[in-house]
Amino acid sequence: MNRYLPLSILALAILAFATLMLVIAPGMQINSRPAPEGLTPYSEAEQRGRETYVSLGCLYCHSQQPRSGDQAPDGERGWGRASVAADYTYDQPHQLGTMRTGPDLLNVGARLPSEGWHLTHLYQPRAIFDWSIMPAYPYLFDEKPQAGPGDVVVALPAEYAPQDGVVVATQQALDLTAYLQSLDRTYEVPADGLRDHGYGTPDGPEPTPSEEER
Amino acid sequence: MARKSKHSRPDEAFEPYEEHAGVPMPVNWVAIALTIWGTAMLYDTGESVQESLQDRAEDSDVVAQSVPDEGTLLFGANCATCHQPDGRGLRDAVPPLAGSEIVAAGPDIVSRILLRGIDGPLTVVGQDFDGHMPSFDSALNDAEIAELASYVTTRWADTTEATAQTSEEVASLRAEIGDRGSFGGGAELAMMISSLPDQPPMPARSHVQAGDQAARDLVFAGRDQVWSCASCHGDLGQGDESTPRLAGLPGAYIVKQLQNFREGTRENESMQLVVQGLSDPEMTALGAYYTDLRVPSTARPVLSGDLKRGEQLALQGDWSIGVPACFTCHGPSGFGVAPNFPGLSAQHAPYLAAQLANWVGGQRHNDALGLMAQISEALSTQDRRAVADYLASLPPVPAGGASMARMETQDDQ
Repeated sequence: MNRYLPLSILALAILAFATLMLVIAPGMQINSRPAPEGLTPYSEAEQRGRETYVSLGCLYCHSQQPRSGDQAPDGERGWGRASVAADYTYDQPHQLGTMRTGPDLLNVGARLPSEGWHLTHLYQPRAIFDWSIMPAYPYLFDEKPQAGPGDVVVALPAEYAPQDGVVVATQQALDLTAYLQSLDRTYEVPADGLRDHGYGTPDGPEPTPSEEER
Repeated sequence: MARKSKHSRPDEAFEPYEEHAGVPMPVNWVAIALTIWGTAMLYDTGESVQESLQDRAEDSDVVAQSVPDEGTLLFGANCATCHQPDGRGLRDAVPPLAGSEIVAAGPDIVSRILLRGIDGPLTVVGQDFDGHMPSFDSALNDAEIAELASYVTTRWADTTEATAQTSEEVASLRAEIGDRGSFGGGAELAMMISSLPDQPPMPARSHVQAGDQAARDLVFAGRDQVWSCASCHGDLGQGDESTPRLAGLPGAYIVKQLQNFREGTRENESMQLVVQGLSDPEMTALGAYYTDLRVPSTARPVLSGDLKRGEQLALQGDWSIGVPACFTCHGPSGFGVAPNFPGLSAQHAPYLAAQLANWVGGQRHNDALGLMAQISEALSTQDRRAVADYLASLPPVPAGGASMARMETQDDQ
């Protein structure tokens, strides 16, 4: 163990090589891609909502990475097409997530564009899905005897509504909802979109003979 | 074990060994012969693979030549379900192309109609029709529309003028038309074609724009306890992903689904909550509202399904798995048949595929005779994706398509 110099150099070289191949090269590959045409940067409200999303730890139960059809039936679930690197252009930090205790949310704004629905669901998920295990977030809402001007009242079925008065959304709830509504990556994949096709081909799960003949 | 046996034991110092024996000569000969044969085979098959590749290429050339040309294929897939393969149309329901004064006006007009569609009464070859031709703007590309327009005029227009249309011409037409919407029946067509016979006047469409005020309130404002229809299904009932497109569905079908949500024969938590607050007259008003809506298709094939297979299932069905053609019940080109069969064309692929799964999974059991459940059971996941993607690629239900379907039924009787 007295040849520590060559040993350290070799170890560092291996690390540098791995960093080059796994971090720097893919980083260059992804950074050179422009943002997709259909993707707009988050507005201020949406960005605030995104910070709430991060702080509430939504990521622990909700992924933001739909899979391709040959890996999971995400398409049929309405979760959208398999995502590509460019879909996350404005996501800092990304919220890919690994757990799917709840549904994938990358396209929740496309399949559930209703602000009212999201407010009800955030206030009390059980008001809609009696089997839901999602936590309720009542602290994002205020109970008031009467809705003031500009207040957004949450639609609630009788058994979840307060005895008297109304539930109104705070700015935080509205921002979070704005963020959820903005999650819509249903535009066409850019022609040069970087993605992993899994076991399928770029055109679909398996090429059909008729297409091959052409 | 060995120690307990009564056999004589070998000496402690005994080392096992094997007597040396050479490989018998015949085995060597066989090995050498096999090697030579294998090498020869490698060369031989190498050549025959080349040959068979060539053969196959020649074969496919022959097949390609016998396949009907592009125009015939496009006509069969997009037009023939309504206008019939011989272009004679359906009496009282679908105008004929053969002998039509409109087709005679040339490929330019045909392309315009393909791009815009027709929505209003028109007279063709002395017959009156309640015209509901879909716009193929979103469904076909420039080259395909050019091909179709050339095909239709070459085949049916009794003219000596040029019948060819190029995709560049279609592209400039598309730009010129923009989003002007459907032709207002024969009346608007007559403004472009001077040779057209007298056309019926276009009826006023005020009722569609106004709608029932109560229904409009529900659609856009909702109630205290529930969200508005438009907040999920879109301002024009266009839907997205797993939220269905409602525009143009038969009113009675919408009412039945709402009632089924209430009864629990169709499960969807959000909709079940919504229908709790709806009365029967309100449901009827909502059905009437959505059936009259016109909106271009926003659906695309997104499930990477095999469109050819989807087209086969929709047009011919697959009797090897006991599945009838979708269009036998859901109407020509999947426009729906009021009151029971919803339109399928331009419906969102994720919604369609999810419903097919729901028929099997038990979230939906509101079909008469369990027909859809049987069909869905027979379809593989790939088939469901294929047919959903194909239907999503079709042009949207022409508004009032239900009335066309009704007339067709009368025609049959």
